[in-house]
Amino acid sequence: MTPKPTYEGLATRAIALALDAAAINVIALAVAGIVALVLSVLSVPDWLETVLIGVAGVLFFLWTIAYFATFWSTTGQTPGDRLMRIRVCDAEAGQPIGFGRSVLRLLYLTIAALPLLAGFLPVLFDERRRGLHDMLAGTVVVSAPEEPAVSPAVLSRVRIPPR
Amino acid sequence: MLGRALQLPIELTASVARGAGRRLGDLTLAGLDAVLASRVAEEAVDRALASRLAEHTVDRVFDQERLIDETVTRLLESDELWVLVDSIAKSPAVTEAIARQSVGFADQVAEGVRERSQRLDVRLEQAARRIARRPARPSPESP
Repeated sequence: MTPKPTYEGLATRAIALALDAAAINVIALAVAGIVALVLSVLSVPDWLETVLIGVAGVLFFLWTIAYFATFWSTTGQTPGDRLMRIRVCDAEAGQPIGFGRSVLRLLYLTIAALPLLAGFLPVLFDERRRGLHDMLAGTVVVSAPEEPAVSPAVLSRVRIPPR
Repeated sequence: MLGRALQLPIELTASVARGAGRRLGDLTLAGLDAVLASRVAEEAVDRALASRLAEHTVDRVFDQERLIDETVTRLLESDELWVLVDSIAKSPAVTEAIARQSVGFADQVAEGVRERSQRLDVRLEQAARRIARRPARPSPESP
């Protein structure tokens, strides 16, 4: 019998999202800093600098999408989710969602955040603690207890020789 | 047969010897207590403490402390000690232990944050539902 999932609430999910935002920005800032240092020793014309800033913006946008979509579609957990021990999965099957659906969920998440974060309020009232983006993407956020690195079945077969 | 016949006298002798030994031990300890409590012992100790030998012994103990201090100072000044400390600090066993402890600490912090955030989840929900005059969310345990 499958245990009943525990749905995670607003504060836990907000902390996980904040951790992910921090990770995305720290990595992006580090890369931007290196590129800026390299460019500072080269004489780049003004128009090229403008183009590069535009390219950097597009790359940041793609990097953010890739970050969330890759983690949600593979393990269902971004690094922030992993720290908070939560997981995004399909509302019915309980499995990680596909890449396309992950991209859509991110789009819905942005839409939910636009009207002064009002799209997240349903998390407080829904029985399965779903936000607007969860309802639109057909996902839920459940708790993901830490699994041991080696399964107990394998551990029971291991015999440690006496010293 | 002969062994069985001898068993009883042997056990008897052993029991008598055990009793005698115990009594002898008690007597010796009682005698020692009496000697230590007597004026003679007190005087002997006083004389020993007043003698030059006692003074000399105390001086030697303080000299040894000075010697230990000097040894520690020299040890701390020696480069070899720091080479040894460096090699111990860089050893895989020590670095692994430190790494494991750091991960354990990070895990503990994360666990604390998780527990608090889950309590906050419930409080936020209760407050929001109270404001919206909606019934409380059923607990996960209820069917």
